[in-house]
Amino acid sequence: MIDIWWRSILTIMQMLHQLFTISRWEVKRFFTTMSRDLLPISVILLILLVLVSGFAAQRGMHLQDGLYRIGIDSPTYLEIIGNDPRYTVYDTSNLYGVTPQKAGTDLKIQTGTILRTPGEKGKAAQKSFERDYQAYSDRIYQQQKDLFAAYPLWIQNEYVSSELNFLATQTGQQIGIPGQAYNEAPEPDLPVEEVTPPVSSVPVDSEELRMSLAEQMRNDQEQVSRYTGIFSKADTTQIPYKVPSLLSPPLPFDTIIFIFVFIFPLYFTSQFFMMSIMNERTLRQGEALIAAPIKPEILIFGKMLPYAIGMILLASAILFAVHTDIIAILPLIPVILFFLAFALFIGMVSRSFKELSFISIFFSTIATSYLFFPSLFANVHIVSLLSPVTLVVYVIQGTGYTLMEYLYATSLFYLTSFIIFGICIKNFREEQLFTESSMVSKVRLYLAGLIQPRHWWFSLFIIGLISIPFVLMAQMMYLVLFFNLPMPFSLILIMLLAAFTEEMAKGAGIIALITAMPGFLNARILVIASALIALGFLVGEKLLLFVTISQISDSVFGAALFLSIGMLWMPFLLHTVGVCITGALVLYKGPKALPFGLALATAVHLTYNLYMLRGWLW
Amino acid sequence: MNVHRVLTITKKELRGLANEKTILLAILLQLFIALFSSFLMVGLSAMYDPTTYGSISGVKYGVGVVGNDTILKGLLDENPSFKSYQMNLSVALGALKERKLAAVIWTSETPPESVDPVSLTLYTIKNDIQSAVIEVKIKEVFLKYEDILRDVRSDRITKHPVTITSARPVNSNTFYEFIYALLIPLLLFMPAIISAGLVIDLITEEYQQQTIDTLRTTPASMNEIIWGKISACILLVPMEAGLWLVLLILNRIRIGSLPEILLQVIFASSALILVAALLALYYQDRTKSQFIFSTAAVILLLLTLAFPGNPLNIIAQLASESPAPLFWPVLFVFICFCIILTLLIRVTVRKATETS
Repeated sequence: MIDIWWRSILTIMQMLHQLFTISRWEVKRFFTTMSRDLLPISVILLILLVLVSGFAAQRGMHLQDGLYRIGIDSPTYLEIIGNDPRYTVYDTSNLYGVTPQKAGTDLKIQTGTILRTPGEKGKAAQKSFERDYQAYSDRIYQQQKDLFAAYPLWIQNEYVSSELNFLATQTGQQIGIPGQAYNEAPEPDLPVEEVTPPVSSVPVDSEELRMSLAEQMRNDQEQVSRYTGIFSKADTTQIPYKVPSLLSPPLPFDTIIFIFVFIFPLYFTSQFFMMSIMNERTLRQGEALIAAPIKPEILIFGKMLPYAIGMILLASAILFAVHTDIIAILPLIPVILFFLAFALFIGMVSRSFKELSFISIFFSTIATSYLFFPSLFANVHIVSLLSPVTLVVYVIQGTGYTLMEYLYATSLFYLTSFIIFGICIKNFREEQLFTESSMVSKVRLYLAGLIQPRHWWFSLFIIGLISIPFVLMAQMMYLVLFFNLPMPFSLILIMLLAAFTEEMAKGAGIIALITAMPGFLNARILVIASALIALGFLVGEKLLLFVTISQISDSVFGAALFLSIGMLWMPFLLHTVGVCITGALVLYKGPKALPFGLALATAVHLTYNLYMLRGWLW
Repeated sequence: MNVHRVLTITKKELRGLANEKTILLAILLQLFIALFSSFLMVGLSAMYDPTTYGSISGVKYGVGVVGNDTILKGLLDENPSFKSYQMNLSVALGALKERKLAAVIWTSETPPESVDPVSLTLYTIKNDIQSAVIEVKIKEVFLKYEDILRDVRSDRITKHPVTITSARPVNSNTFYEFIYALLIPLLLFMPAIISAGLVIDLITEEYQQQTIDTLRTTPASMNEIIWGKISACILLVPMEAGLWLVLLILNRIRIGSLPEILLQVIFASSALILVAALLALYYQDRTKSQFIFSTAAVILLLLTLAFPGNPLNIIAQLASESPAPLFWPVLFVFICFCIILTLLIRVTVRKATETS
């Protein structure tokens, strides 16, 4: 007994030793290739970057300069435009009565009346001018000795949590639907809690208010300070009163900066890992390593470890720099894993550098949109919780997140990363790494690698099961992309894409079987295989849904995506029929028929979903 | 340098791209981003300008008015978006939580002519798009209320702003600035970024896979090989940018001065591609050159954006049919820049040929 213990401890020690050895090699390799001529220039570039960003922040972004032409007949109006670079100013004092269009301008101020040229540009110019006018009158009113005469109205915002959550009311769709204001004052159904009304007087003196007002105006005017202001969190104790013109909805403007601050360096570091894997293949350094008696997982994780640690350190450093609770690192860990998993996969499948570049750009665009778009709606819409970055935003705002929210936002990232690592480890072999086949055939090979010929039936079940996180992730992406299109287009589009994705994932199982065991598939096996894939699919779907997605799945959009939760035999039959259609076409008409098979299966799937959802549509 | 051989290599590289279907991915990427356009419009432009939400709906929202009797209730009912009810605070908040109301307003008892400010509290639902819409709409009502109150107290104000009335008010918010000053310039410069990355790959690949020596045994000189690759990448720019312009025009976005825009895009992009090629030739290693190039690109972008009359700004001016006084000078600067880079590349290539 002790002997066995002893031996397993030894094995673990040995494996850890190997792991660290490989990590050390990787670090050494990285620094020897990078340092010689790169280090000095990197330092110079870094200094330049800091200098230039400071310079740019000071001078502002000049994107809209000279966009509009404005004609004025008196220099008093120059005070309104101030130094707004969007306007090119013309003197039109001798063009009285001439239309702005004839005068060659987009706007024209003529004895206190503002005229505009017809069309979108004229409207936009006028809107911008009106905003400048607002700022100008604010500047004048704010200097008034009697502040409460100039600003007689002060507003305080209070937010209450809804008893019914988003699920019951489908906030997403309410924007487009005519509201129903009651004729009489509505009565709440639940027992009423007594609330003490706010105090009648503003409990702050006018000088403090004036200062807070100036601060708010500055923030409203300068978009850049809006972003940099968040990094110095000194003014969080702002006075909660606002004047009407400064009332703005609580949209997370700063999110866009956070995403780039966090995602860009992480993505960049994962690129180095990708290149390291690719170099192993192109320079054939890898052959010696693979031939060595080291398990592929040790090899992969050994190479990955320095990058993972680097990314975590980088993210922590950023968090530290913006004075944020270190707990914000937890939502970023699955993102780091996800990036590394895809870096490994892309490094393993691309044939050339340009393919590597394109695939990684493609991947990063999609991944960034997935992380970025939902978090735009942080504090506004529950859909925002699909992105782990939203949790980072919460932490920075000081609200934190719950365990449930963490699971909800990160589980798909964890699952897909682990599955990709698994698939890559299984295929980290000489014959896979050094073949020059195309992407598609490589992916086919990888899929086929999942099939154990002796237990092919079990393999199919597993393929169905592990495809679920990917399918859900894609479907979540559709939800994020289309939830704000008008109904019912959004719903139908989401359903169509969701059905197509599901059919594609299930078809992958059949393709894997055909590739791994050519000639094995016949009509009888096809039916069995379809049923097995469908079963795996169903089990995976149910497992994951119950863990995490319940919030979304109760909304109309969720209903469109996850219809199959209802009675079990119906979705099972639907899934089986779907795979059967795709499989049969491929079996009898050859691989070229795959797109037709998928289209047909999608059509059947969509029809079923539409029928089930008919209450929402007609 | 033999132009014919350069063209042969250009064609070979373009064909290689088509064969590997990587260019398909690039186009797919563009379409993917184009697919976002609806989202971009609503999501990003809301970020750019939060009042966007105000124009979204034609809904009548119920608002509970609590507290003291003011003219605010009347102002709300005047607005087509609202219907108000005089209520008790606890009941109103209960109804708000159940979404039977869109907002609750509590008003203070300060009289309009008082020395003290009139304060009010606006209750809305947390984490909700609808609340964002309501805040934007209700702002109009509050502004009107503020005007009325300010009028009552106007004898206490010493300086008033110049009054300006508009002949035709603008109701709907347009996405004009977002489209012309951000979307179009960024879209038109995306092909440049893609091509610059591509030229690095095409050049470093030959070095790292040690195929450069094989290539040199062909009649083509090193110079011709490099320029073949560079011109393939430059050629892609007007093709992709043209595709974008067509897509934008199909979306009924008016774009002025197309030839000038294309000229500006081609020369500014060429400068970027030549910088990338120079780095690739110098380092002969993908990781290094891509790393330096992307950092340098960020620095260059930030630096140019800090100056008025940068290429992105000029494109915004041209596309929106405004005069772009700096168009010719900037174009001239970029052409000079391209010539200098061309000479630098020649020197680097010659050095590389001599050392090997």
